[in-house]
Amino acid sequence: MTLHAMTNQTMHTQSEPNDMQAQTLSALIDGELSDEMANLAIKQLIANDAVRGHYTHYIAIGDAMRGLTDQPSGFTNRVMAALEKEPVVLAPVRKAGNRRPALWLAAAAMTAITWGLWQSIPSTQINAPMASLRQPSIQSSDAQPYLAAHQDFAQAVISEPEMQFSKASLEVRQ
Amino acid sequence: MNGRVTRLLAAGWLAAQPMCFAQAGEILVGNDAAILLQRMSDAARRVPYEGVFVVQNGSAMQTLSIFNRPTGMAKESRLAAMDGIQREIRCSKNGSISLVTKGGHVSLEKRLNSRHFPDLLPPNAAQLATFYDVRLGEPARVAGLECQQVELTPKDAFRWGYMLCAEKNSGLPLKAAMFNASNQPLMQYAFAEVRIGGSPKREAEATPTNRPAQAASDSARPIGAESVSVKNLPPGFTRITAVKRTLPNKPGEVEHWVFSDGLTHISLFLEPAAQPIESMRGQSKLGMINMAKRQVGSMQATILGDAPWAAIEAIAMGLEARPETVAAHGAAR
Repeated sequence: MTLHAMTNQTMHTQSEPNDMQAQTLSALIDGELSDEMANLAIKQLIANDAVRGHYTHYIAIGDAMRGLTDQPSGFTNRVMAALEKEPVVLAPVRKAGNRRPALWLAAAAMTAITWGLWQSIPSTQINAPMASLRQPSIQSSDAQPYLAAHQDFAQAVISEPEMQFSKASLEVRQ
Repeated sequence: MNGRVTRLLAAGWLAAQPMCFAQAGEILVGNDAAILLQRMSDAARRVPYEGVFVVQNGSAMQTLSIFNRPTGMAKESRLAAMDGIQREIRCSKNGSISLVTKGGHVSLEKRLNSRHFPDLLPPNAAQLATFYDVRLGEPARVAGLECQQVELTPKDAFRWGYMLCAEKNSGLPLKAAMFNASNQPLMQYAFAEVRIGGSPKREAEATPTNRPAQAASDSARPIGAESVSVKNLPPGFTRITAVKRTLPNKPGEVEHWVFSDGLTHISLFLEPAAQPIESMRGQSKLGMINMAKRQVGSMQATILGDAPWAAIEAIAMGLEARPETVAAHGAAR
């Protein structure tokens, strides 16, 4: 597929983004497009209201995840509810070659944004690297005293392990 | 090979004679598994040895020297890290201490447990056969010595699997590896060189620096009234320790409970919750260590161990505030 054909297919007007559109928007936001493709995508973005709508929607999702809550009533709750249904990813995951929109939401939480691309799109919002999303409320340093104390019963592991944290649902089932 | 022959061969090895290598792969049944585990466990404590072993945890590797003198008034063992931070673990009949030298400063801390490679199996190792399938593996060679591989495959999701390689004559584990359910190694120990028997020469008692070591901190004391109860522990797990203690680099006291099936150890730390606690899950690289944090009544509970998440979660979910504690907490508000 040529670049022109792909971007045309990606950016044509539809009420919901198809896989290719979602991939291109996601790649655009993630800064994964080449300069040439990014320019074409941005031109389509400016020219096409529906695609721009999808783009705004994705940006809003990112903002909601960062706690920038200037959103329509209930929007954040809906986004967070959708995120709750996503599996907790505890290990680094290689990006799939065949990206799907549903996975983009989870992938967005772990992906850094290319600042140059952000600056090319007018925005009054303060943007933070996406890698800071889902900032855990407990850090490895907080866990260190417990890990060190547990060493008394560990199998003589002398180096302290590096831990990753995520929110967990541990409500007691009655 | 049929099961009867396997049992006979295993029994031959169990009779403390040089090992008869049985065909790999068959599960030992009856008392054979229990006796085999017990022999390895006894050897790690009763056999004198000294050597150097390597610990591999993911991409990290550490080398330690070790000597074990198991009998007499001076019964003791000593491990010393040969790379990284200077750290020693010394165990005697009086207990176990950790000695760390950093920046020319030496600090001592009392350990609550004396467990270390190759002494990984519990004193009553026979009970492990209830929770693990035990198989004889292939014969192997470690640190120049012949050994017999023994697989411990957990019968449920609450513990990791192990592969041990027991020295042919003594039964001393020369190698140990911990595996997850996908048979991926999580951590491995192996002697690079070892001398078994004889009388290991006593290591120099002097600390690695001329500065006097700080007194060993021994903050552990009984916990008193319990504010939390634990229901539905994973099968085979019992509470083996419950003390109040201070933690390194953390102000205040916490309760430290330890649950174990003899091979897997899971710590529970209880302390007053300064603010509402958000439940969290933590995991080390490769998933070997799992950790959970949640609120139980007015307490923060932190659960962690070298165990699958299922075990950590089961303990975390089984915690309940005792009614009197809840009432007292409510009245205090």
